[in-house]
Amino acid sequence: MSLEILSELARKATRLAVKKGADQAEATAFTLVEDLTRFANSQIHQNVATHKDGLRVRVVLKKRIGDVAIGAFDPFSVKGAVDDAIKIAKLSPPNELFKSLPEPRKYAALKGTYDKRTASCDPNFRADNAKRAIQVAHDRANFVKAVAGSYMTGSASFAVVNSLGTDVKAQISLAQMAVTVISDKEGSEGHGYYSAYARNTREINVDNVAEKAAEKSVKSVQPIRLEPGEYEAILAPDAVALSLGYIGNGFLATWFQDGTSFVKYNLGKQVFHEQFDLKDDGRDMATLYVSPVDGEGVPKQALTLVKDGVVDEKSICYDSYTAGKEGKKSTGHAFVPFFEAYGPGPDVVNMVLAPGNASEEEMIKETKRGVYVSRFHYVRTVNQPRMILTGLTRDGTFLIEDGEITAPVRNLRFTDSFLDVYKGMQMTGKDLERQAQATVPALKVSKLRFTGVSEQ
Amino acid sequence: MNEDLARMALRTIQKLGASYADVRYVKTESENLHVKKGVPEEIRKSSIAGIGVRAIAKGAWGFAGTTELGRPSVVNIAKLAYKVACASATAKKTDVKLSPTSARKAKHSTRFRKDPFKVSLQEKLDSLKTTERAAAAESRELIKTSSSFFRAHRERKLFLSSEGAEIDQTIVWCGGGVSATAIRNGDVQIRSYPASFRGNFSTAGYEFFESLDLARHAPETAREAIQLLSAEKCPSTTTTLVTAGDQLALQVHESCGHPTELDRALGTEADYAGTSFLTTDKLGTFRYGSPKVNISADATAPGGLGTFGYDDEGVPAKNVPLIKEGIFVNYQSSRETATLLNLPEGSSGGMRADSPLAMPIVRMTNINLLPGDWKVEELIRDTQDGILMLTNKSWSIDDRRLNFQFGTEAAWLIKNGSKERMIKQATYTGITHQFWGSCDAVSNDDWYMHGTPTCGKGVPSQVMYVGHGVSTARFRNVRVGIA
Repeated sequence: MSLEILSELARKATRLAVKKGADQAEATAFTLVEDLTRFANSQIHQNVATHKDGLRVRVVLKKRIGDVAIGAFDPFSVKGAVDDAIKIAKLSPPNELFKSLPEPRKYAALKGTYDKRTASCDPNFRADNAKRAIQVAHDRANFVKAVAGSYMTGSASFAVVNSLGTDVKAQISLAQMAVTVISDKEGSEGHGYYSAYARNTREINVDNVAEKAAEKSVKSVQPIRLEPGEYEAILAPDAVALSLGYIGNGFLATWFQDGTSFVKYNLGKQVFHEQFDLKDDGRDMATLYVSPVDGEGVPKQALTLVKDGVVDEKSICYDSYTAGKEGKKSTGHAFVPFFEAYGPGPDVVNMVLAPGNASEEEMIKETKRGVYVSRFHYVRTVNQPRMILTGLTRDGTFLIEDGEITAPVRNLRFTDSFLDVYKGMQMTGKDLERQAQATVPALKVSKLRFTGVSEQ
Repeated sequence: MNEDLARMALRTIQKLGASYADVRYVKTESENLHVKKGVPEEIRKSSIAGIGVRAIAKGAWGFAGTTELGRPSVVNIAKLAYKVACASATAKKTDVKLSPTSARKAKHSTRFRKDPFKVSLQEKLDSLKTTERAAAAESRELIKTSSSFFRAHRERKLFLSSEGAEIDQTIVWCGGGVSATAIRNGDVQIRSYPASFRGNFSTAGYEFFESLDLARHAPETAREAIQLLSAEKCPSTTTTLVTAGDQLALQVHESCGHPTELDRALGTEADYAGTSFLTTDKLGTFRYGSPKVNISADATAPGGLGTFGYDDEGVPAKNVPLIKEGIFVNYQSSRETATLLNLPEGSSGGMRADSPLAMPIVRMTNINLLPGDWKVEELIRDTQDGILMLTNKSWSIDDRRLNFQFGTEAAWLIKNGSKERMIKQATYTGITHQFWGSCDAVSNDDWYMHGTPTCGKGVPSQVMYVGHGVSTARFRNVRVGIA
């Protein structure tokens, strides 16, 4: 579906809603194409090609709001969505906290976000890359037992129009590959993982992804049991990015206004290390889900979340509704419909953590006794205001002694305040790695509290 | 629903030469209502209709789905599914084989009395507003956020297969809940009823939402949130743990539901959710829990959120024991995975997709801990020293489903057989089979169905609704108070 067609659909729905009596109206039309080849046990086992259209209509009648989403673009369905939204608004009590849909603002389009070839890849292209990854991983060692993973190609496109004059559109292509390698030596398994996120298949180096996953896997067999406790830790970019996904919630206006955000209780304070600088920037091409506008058509711009380790009120990410509650303007963080599911409220998906000047090898050399963490798994927030997270390590956890990796260790559970963990940041990686929600370097921290060990 | 489109898709892919194919034509609609701090924060209706075509060609799977429901688009999707399968075949080790199932022609609907979509929006919003205001009224100073929720879901799907199955099925579920957040000096405490994360849900009509009687429970919910502000922290120790059903439901989900999924055990989820410690050599012999522990996968349980007539392979709903007197006896499986393990009963009937655009994968139905022989009061009275934990707040478990840690909204210290005082920030941790092995009591008078509408699995990610019938249970020597 072309962007111009999406725009025209959104315009028609908006015009129709106003014609039917809406004081304000907004329509978002989107198309998601997701083609994904998945493999496990060194063969393709799931292989899908999907195309999803969606239209969201939001109408306002004197602060009464109706919100309807449908999965079709035909005129009958569009009219039905508008009618339903009007009907819901009429039946709804007024939301006195609602101020207005966003006024139109100027924005500059982003170039180079969409590659037609990537958006419309053939299933044979993905199958060939899957086979290549399987072969490369098996070539690493004869005790590589199984290779799993996926190769995804597709695109996400949307257009937003509102009755105040907003009329915007955005589009990206997507290519993602993830490889998990399972090795088995004398009945002891070792797992390794690596991934690449891009907007163009040319940026996916299949051999590199498979080699890195295989390397971690073969080095992870026959792990030792490390006693829980506080250790120095080196967090690979994958682990850093996942933790930031949870820390990022603290910058959302919804959390801030509900009083559950750590930012609320630390305004103006240095909660992270003084060299911990974090921004969210939907226009930064180093991030994955780049877009010139958010899901309400408000221009994206860089927002400093943490400067010199300090958080303050300017760190908060707003959409128009949450901004209106405080008499502020949206920061352009309304949910962007680049995903399978989306809903109301602000979101942060373009975080960038400032790089430093260390390599991972240098970090290891500077570690007396610590743990190298390739990935975190199943992270959950235990205490929101203190940002206490729990979760496990996965796919390559190693003991470092006197500046060298000396042994793989069983997966460890951590439970710790990540305000404290990142206040203890000691070294920052010089290379940024793009993950789904954040682009980050590796980090060395002075301590991470491990509270349990998993069984082999 | 235009059945001709589905038949056309099936005919198209059969003509191309697929050795097996099925088509799902699915229409879903949902309604989400959320009243927060006195205002209607969310009043949202959504719907989607689409067709998904799954096929085996040259011995491998292909799938394609679309929301474009014109004839040319549906024909193209069938052709694409075939092309995708042929691409898969270039990287296969063995041909896909399916366990046999009768090709049924059937019509089925989950039971409900009051269609939740026909109850007026006004009535639902009035109920939510009354509930939320009742929670907020407990303390204007300390209750900083109060919310009430309603959600309804209707799914109608037509399943056609090249084996001759024609199943027209409708699933309706709804439910809701109330929550209150009390805050003082940076201490944030939340209580929810009847469960956290927007409440409880059931394959039933609006009568289920009414039966929750949220407005009556709202004041107590808020009072408990306020009480927690003054409560002591959960001690860090090893003790006897008593878990109420609204926490144990998720324990069952994470530590029994997921590891008994055969696709995980066979390694096909290794790249994302992980594998399972319940490897195939353990089937029928491994002691998973104490003899008090009996767990089943029951898609026939009335009102369960994982209740249906047929799964997305056309296999009729089954009740399959997973853990029998503590021994691991069965997996949750599909037609393909059952064949790989030569399971004599074939598929357990748990293949489900969360939309017409998703390929079905092995999913939980209702994973139930069967009632034991204790009354809850007796169980508490019999506990000299322990902690009762209620209502899930956080959950985490490793990629083989062994090392877990859960947090709960509230807890009570038990001393000399009675609940002594409330404590906060309660967490517990353990290793799955050691934990279930320490279970020495399961109650029978508070067994209840809990619905979990947000179970994530698969790549691309799918979100499924599943159920857990559980009651209160007791576990010995559990490590608590980790955070």
